[in-house]
Amino acid sequence: MVYIKCRDVVAKISDIIDHEASLMTRMRFYGHIMMCKNCRRYFDQFKEVHALAGKVTADDLPPDFEQVMGAVMDEIEGHKDA
Amino acid sequence: MQGTGVFQGDSDDLTALKAGDSDAWRVVLVRYGPSLLAYATRLLGDRASGEEITQDSLVNIYRTIDRFDGRCSLKSWLYRAVHNRAIDEIRRRKRYVDVGDQGLEDYFNAAGRWRHDCPGWDGLAAKQLDDKRLLGKVREQMDCLPHAHREVLFLKEVEGLDSAEICAALEISPGNLRIRIHRARAALRAAVVEA
Repeated sequence: MVYIKCRDVVAKISDIIDHEASLMTRMRFYGHIMMCKNCRRYFDQFKEVHALAGKVTADDLPPDFEQVMGAVMDEIEGHKDA
Repeated sequence: MQGTGVFQGDSDDLTALKAGDSDAWRVVLVRYGPSLLAYATRLLGDRASGEEITQDSLVNIYRTIDRFDGRCSLKSWLYRAVHNRAIDEIRRRKRYVDVGDQGLEDYFNAAGRWRHDCPGWDGLAAKQLDDKRLLGKVREQMDCLPHAHREVLFLKEVEGLDSAEICAALEISPGNLRIRIHRARAALRAAVVEA
């Protein structure tokens, strides 16, 4: 199997996470990760932060959300009546 | 079906929107309004500006709906409108934070190997923060990233848009999106783990 450098392993992590890497790339990637402590640590950190980013939710709706959308509806209905 | 990058709604819905049917527009506002408002607020950094930009954008979308040709999803088109308006406003205020030149290369030597040990936590068990505080830190750091990173992370990780929708919303190619997503995630990892 062709050797893959640490820099290239790190560059492929998003493709691995998003399941967009080819079978050969995955084999090289995980083969390298097994052997390289630093890349393994980076990969673990990257995966954990990625998982946490997925748990960030959109801000709660502001109390005047209805008012914000109401103003848009007023414009729409006003334009229609005009 | 999702992700084909074209208008997915009923053609009657689009006809109703173009005809100015207020019930059809109310459905759009209820369905997408909260997400668009959250997106604008995240980009601009404060709720009042987010509300103003979202309101302006939605009124403008209503006025220009005839230009929507259905080549992307309505959702992408809405995000694109809010995005462009928000970025214009950020640039007008001279607050646009561009992506710096510092990249991953700093970690590696000329041979492509780690120059030093990978910084940050040594394995998940060693982390000192509990999950709730860590999640708070991730959220805080997301809001501090350059806008180009923040927008792709928010659309992909928080709002869950698929790649085709994000490409259409930001008017970028799939290849460019992959690079930007990776750089944004790497920047977030560095901000959270190495800070």
